[in-house]
Amino acid sequence: MRWLIWPALLLFALFFVLPFAVLGVMSLLSGNPVNAPAVNLTLRHFQRFFSDDLYLEALWATLRIGLLTTLSALLLGYPLAHLLARARSRVGHALLLMAVIAPMLTGIVVRTFAWMTLLQDRGVINTTLIALGVTREPLKLMYNEFGTIVALTHIYVPFMVLTLAGVIGRVDERLEEAARSLGATRWQAFREVTLPLSLPGILAGSLLVFALSISAYVTPFLMGGTDVLTLPMLIYQQVSSSFNPNFAGALGVILLAVSLVLVIAYNKVLAGLSGGEGLS
Amino acid sequence: MRRKVGFGAVAYWGLNAAILFFLLSPIAIVSVFAVNPTPYIAFPPVGFTFAWFAKFFANPDFVHALWLSLKVAVAVLVLSMLIGATAAMALARGELPGRRALTAFFMSPLMLPAILTGLALFQIYLLAGIGRPVWGLVMGHTVIAVPYVIRTTLAVLANFDRRLEEAAALLGAGPVRVFFEVTLPLIRPGVIAGGIFAFIVSFDQFPVSLFLVVPKGETLPVVLFNYMKFDLDGAIAAASMVSIALALGVVILLEWIIGLRAYLKF
Repeated sequence: MRWLIWPALLLFALFFVLPFAVLGVMSLLSGNPVNAPAVNLTLRHFQRFFSDDLYLEALWATLRIGLLTTLSALLLGYPLAHLLARARSRVGHALLLMAVIAPMLTGIVVRTFAWMTLLQDRGVINTTLIALGVTREPLKLMYNEFGTIVALTHIYVPFMVLTLAGVIGRVDERLEEAARSLGATRWQAFREVTLPLSLPGILAGSLLVFALSISAYVTPFLMGGTDVLTLPMLIYQQVSSSFNPNFAGALGVILLAVSLVLVIAYNKVLAGLSGGEGLS
Repeated sequence: MRRKVGFGAVAYWGLNAAILFFLLSPIAIVSVFAVNPTPYIAFPPVGFTFAWFAKFFANPDFVHALWLSLKVAVAVLVLSMLIGATAAMALARGELPGRRALTAFFMSPLMLPAILTGLALFQIYLLAGIGRPVWGLVMGHTVIAVPYVIRTTLAVLANFDRRLEEAAALLGAGPVRVFFEVTLPLIRPGVIAGGIFAFIVSFDQFPVSLFLVVPKGETLPVVLFNYMKFDLDGAIAAASMVSIALALGVVILLEWIIGLRAYLKF
């Protein structure tokens, strides 16, 4: 049985580990070794990043958008995850699960397109608001961080719901009933019992959504317009228009470092939760 | 004691209804624009037309991209089922040292930014002078898709009754026969479920493709993205409906195959 691991190991060695190692090496080289014969090791790409306000602002914008997306995904995801975990009928549970998964089956590009039709100046929301006389001028709902965060939240809520539902489902309902029989209201029982017990799920879901949203490219690009510049957008810019694979590598290493911290934290939380199973 | 419907229950159900609306209405709205005849995105809809679908299928860029996406996704489906299922078998049965760490390692493409996987592959192809061939794109997608197959297959293997295999062996079946007649049919639902994920992950894949496609050889999501930078009309909505329909078609097809088998078994 043991040898069956080899195809996967080979695939990952050649198309995952090696490329990431190359990415790291490229970030430390002064030029592209293919067409520049005299390349040497340098830290200047990292120095360039940390000494330019444009890049630091992009890093901060990436983290800020990630944080706000995570927060709103948590606020929208928790009630739905609770409903999913506590659904009594099998049909209701299956339908809810389908409603949560259906958006995941729709590509990121398509979902971003949907939000553009909703939030643009002539979009569904502005047309409706103007028709109702709520506003005369269209509200600026996209081509800014607000639109980016709304669309990202929509894209990543399902991940939050699925992570949370698993944890909430494991909280014994009898604990809540016990609290209620001791005189607590439904809300008190939830706040004092279920909510604290689902804290690891909140943490795991938040780390997951944060890690996903800081690496988003399509949505910040299309929803953010010229107002939003994030790390992934900078990375692609460096490759496609500045032709600087070394600086792109450095940007990649910085994004990777942030993600790794999140992944390790996520694994720690999940391992604590299930007694050491981690990502599996 | 009479149960009264309090403010709390109303708030709970109302809130959840609103969240579900937030989750599902954007997707529903796309279907409206796919059949609305105005030349740009306009609300409310004023009529019904199939012109956008006609425009989509008449545009060679779109059709080429759709074909390429489908071909890549099928290749990724096959490759990741083979590689993922074998790896899951080895992880569950092989008594490998560091099994837990190895499993986490194979799951890591799901957590690390896919855009970095794309960038890293772009750089290594650049250094190796490979260029950007279609097989390079397929391998990139496969790395992202294999974790899904490993995960679903491991889940099935965890509930696997090994005595069935032992019984077959006791009755004289060789290891190859045991594998094909006992093990494989039992893990099949897990492998196929993983394959469904693999297909959809590849078909909708954007960040890895962005770095690995060549002009005129782009996958559908990349073509749609480039189109959307300049134009926002019903053709995108029609393309969205086509890609949703295809993804759904594959899910239903594979689900139907497994579903039917499950039905025959009981």
